[in-house]
Amino acid sequence: MADLTGWLLDLYEDERGGVVLWLIGDDGGRYRLRQDFPVTFYAAGESARLNVLWAWLRRQPLKPRLAKDQRRDLFQPDLLTVLGIELQHAARQPQLFHEITQRFPDLDYYDADLAISLRHAARYGTFPLARCYARADEGGLIQELRVLDSPWDLDPSKAPLRALALRPDCDPAHADPRALIASHDGHEYRFSLEDERPLLVNLCALLTRLDPDLLLTYNGDTWLLPRLLDLAQKHNLPLPLNRDPGRGVMHKKEGSYFSYGQIIYRGQQILLYGRCHIDCRNAMMWQDYDLEGALETARITALPIQTAARVSPGTGISSMQITTALRNDILVPWRKQQAEQPKTAADLIRFDQGGLVYQPVTGLHFDVGMIDFISMYPSIMVRSNISPETPFPDRLGSSDYPPGLVPLTLGPLLEKRVALKQRALSLPGWDPRRRMDKARSEAHKWLLVTCFGYLGYKNARFGRIEAHEAVTTWGREALLRAKEVAEELGFNVLHMYVDGLWVKKDGCRQPQDFQPLLEEVVARTSLPVALDGVYRWVAFLPSRVDERLPVPNHYFGVFQDSSVKARGIDLRRRDSAPFVADTQREMLRCLARAETPDALHGQVSAALDILRGHLRDLHAGRVPLESLLVGKKLSKELAGYRVPSPGARAALQLLAAGKPTRPGQRIRLLFTRGDPGVHAWNLPSAPDPATLDFDYYEDLMLRAAATLLQPFGVAEEDLRVHVRDDLGEQLELPVHAWKRQRQRTESSPNLFKKDAVCAPAEGR
Amino acid sequence: MGRTLPSITQEFMQEQEAFARFRRALRRADQLALDDLFASARQHLSAAAYAAHALPMETFLLSMLLEQHKEVMHLRCELDELRGEPHG
Repeated sequence: MADLTGWLLDLYEDERGGVVLWLIGDDGGRYRLRQDFPVTFYAAGESARLNVLWAWLRRQPLKPRLAKDQRRDLFQPDLLTVLGIELQHAARQPQLFHEITQRFPDLDYYDADLAISLRHAARYGTFPLARCYARADEGGLIQELRVLDSPWDLDPSKAPLRALALRPDCDPAHADPRALIASHDGHEYRFSLEDERPLLVNLCALLTRLDPDLLLTYNGDTWLLPRLLDLAQKHNLPLPLNRDPGRGVMHKKEGSYFSYGQIIYRGQQILLYGRCHIDCRNAMMWQDYDLEGALETARITALPIQTAARVSPGTGISSMQITTALRNDILVPWRKQQAEQPKTAADLIRFDQGGLVYQPVTGLHFDVGMIDFISMYPSIMVRSNISPETPFPDRLGSSDYPPGLVPLTLGPLLEKRVALKQRALSLPGWDPRRRMDKARSEAHKWLLVTCFGYLGYKNARFGRIEAHEAVTTWGREALLRAKEVAEELGFNVLHMYVDGLWVKKDGCRQPQDFQPLLEEVVARTSLPVALDGVYRWVAFLPSRVDERLPVPNHYFGVFQDSSVKARGIDLRRRDSAPFVADTQREMLRCLARAETPDALHGQVSAALDILRGHLRDLHAGRVPLESLLVGKKLSKELAGYRVPSPGARAALQLLAAGKPTRPGQRIRLLFTRGDPGVHAWNLPSAPDPATLDFDYYEDLMLRAAATLLQPFGVAEEDLRVHVRDDLGEQLELPVHAWKRQRQRTESSPNLFKKDAVCAPAEGR
Repeated sequence: MGRTLPSITQEFMQEQEAFARFRRALRRADQLALDDLFASARQHLSAAAYAAHALPMETFLLSMLLEQHKEVMHLRCELDELRGEPHG
């Protein structure tokens, strides 16, 4: 007998039956334990057919335990009679289930395709990196397992994870790497990729000696690990990537899929047993999360670490719902049966809407308060109890019914997110927990955001479009109530966007000036709100195509603490060249330095100097090629383009060079003169700097600069003339227009003064 | 994406498109004025979406009227100011 306390690292089906658990012991040991873990799934349908299934199952060699039972389907009013099929051997369940569906396609199935980690989480409360107590016999078979903490703890005890990072010395899509760089704890080793045997022998020794828990790679899924595995096979040498010696490496195929209006590419995946492989290139949204976020996602979704790092937040939230369902004895449908309820055309028109998005009052505004509903949609779901099985709520903030599946799942997550946000406000700037909390809170945000989307997704197991529409209906209601409160209190509502509004009122400059408004909004909506900040100034931009038209999500501004916020402009766009984005960012920071409206004039001139300096660097060839790279996404197969976009042309070049690309992949390219106008960065031949289309890059920079300066009355055409005519000289700017506009806005109590109502940006 | 009905912007574009022949036959100056009218209706697309009227063109026409009326009131104010009369 052995007593162990430690952290749960990995959990998977044992090929010999039951499950394998890897524990990081308090003594530093890594323990492979086994546990009996029978799994149950259910079939429902006509009782005659269930009897036939029963008789068939009795003849199967796996000898499942069979029982008739009454269980709850979320979408049905009465309990459902089901045939429960319990298997001792979890690893064999998928095969048996497959055979059953082939023979009995007419039956409905429940709990049939669930990840083992979710079943275990529902039964024992386990999750990755949970503190556990385990009592096991001499053979490592667990007799007792207890989980000692919860995924909702704000400061979980930190597991002493050992990590080994592996990366090629350059991007394999761009050029052939020559070396493999291995690093851990500040030590770095460099192995030549050409000397194959020594590479394998050294890597094997390193893996054995260090025995890492995490293998962090760059391009590990798509290039590095497949290549290393091929080499190991070729030389017939061992490569202990897995910690579990009895298992092979698991491969998952690549694919492209459609999500939120975008085509997304995901490369092949390589998953390990007893050790977690995270490919920082392939992990979804890696930039946003980093490791802390991935571990947090694993903890709260109960998905294995290496799975959690790769799945979309949608799969994450759906896993959480499955665990909630299992814990509450609710059946998890294998394939959803419910179709949308019939409704009248009037109802359809009324409810088939998203969030409320306003047309902002374009132009420059001073002393603007930005008010945000905190996690608006999840808050509405939890407080108004919106779930597929609960009735359409008749009010905001409370419900007469017991909490549904979705509020039960989201409640603790929302609470944790709010608690972390509140703590972030109280922690001093140097506290290391700040960065960690931020990464974790970011992971929560994505889960919460997609939970709303999943309510409306027809294939989601617990989705129902009416529930999704109920959320947006009450979201619109809350925002309109906030607008009404603001106007009653004498504020001018400049803009509203789904869950936030921008307001201003003469004399309101400090955060406390907005406090009465916040309190009244909370009172009328029973939803939490926060003052995101007070803008010293903010500019809402009109459409590039027609400047009479405002666009909802293109704006930039400076808060009172000098921090900058921008949306929809070049520096935020993922397809901007870094040099163009940097120029715009630097210019915006320069404008942000003006503390008073009067100081802005000087800063506009200074921002122009920055632009001129960068243009000179561009034409003098002082800008590194990497900074001029533009990343374009292929939105469809190449054959689908009638007129190939720059991205498609670059993809054609790559195809000719034997490097095919898939829809959803981002292709990096340089703009060049003449045909075809682009040079794909990952072509084997290096680009000739002399062929770069500097005029086009200058165009991009002028456009980016004009976006910033336009609210100050500097038109794009003027900018072109000025910058071209006297590179380097100070010039008088036509900035009077915005000054005039400002004076009029500030001195106009009359509602029907034009600029108080819709203020068309003037002077252009 | 995932919607049963066209968005309010799509509906607006369709309605505007429906008047393409009418616009084509107008004089150039009148075409520009008509474009202005349509642009002014777009200021209130979100309100039109929220209204969820079965015949959105009515809401668009009302939006044009609204902007027209604001313009009239604005000009009336300016006129009062020029005449030196106080305005309310």
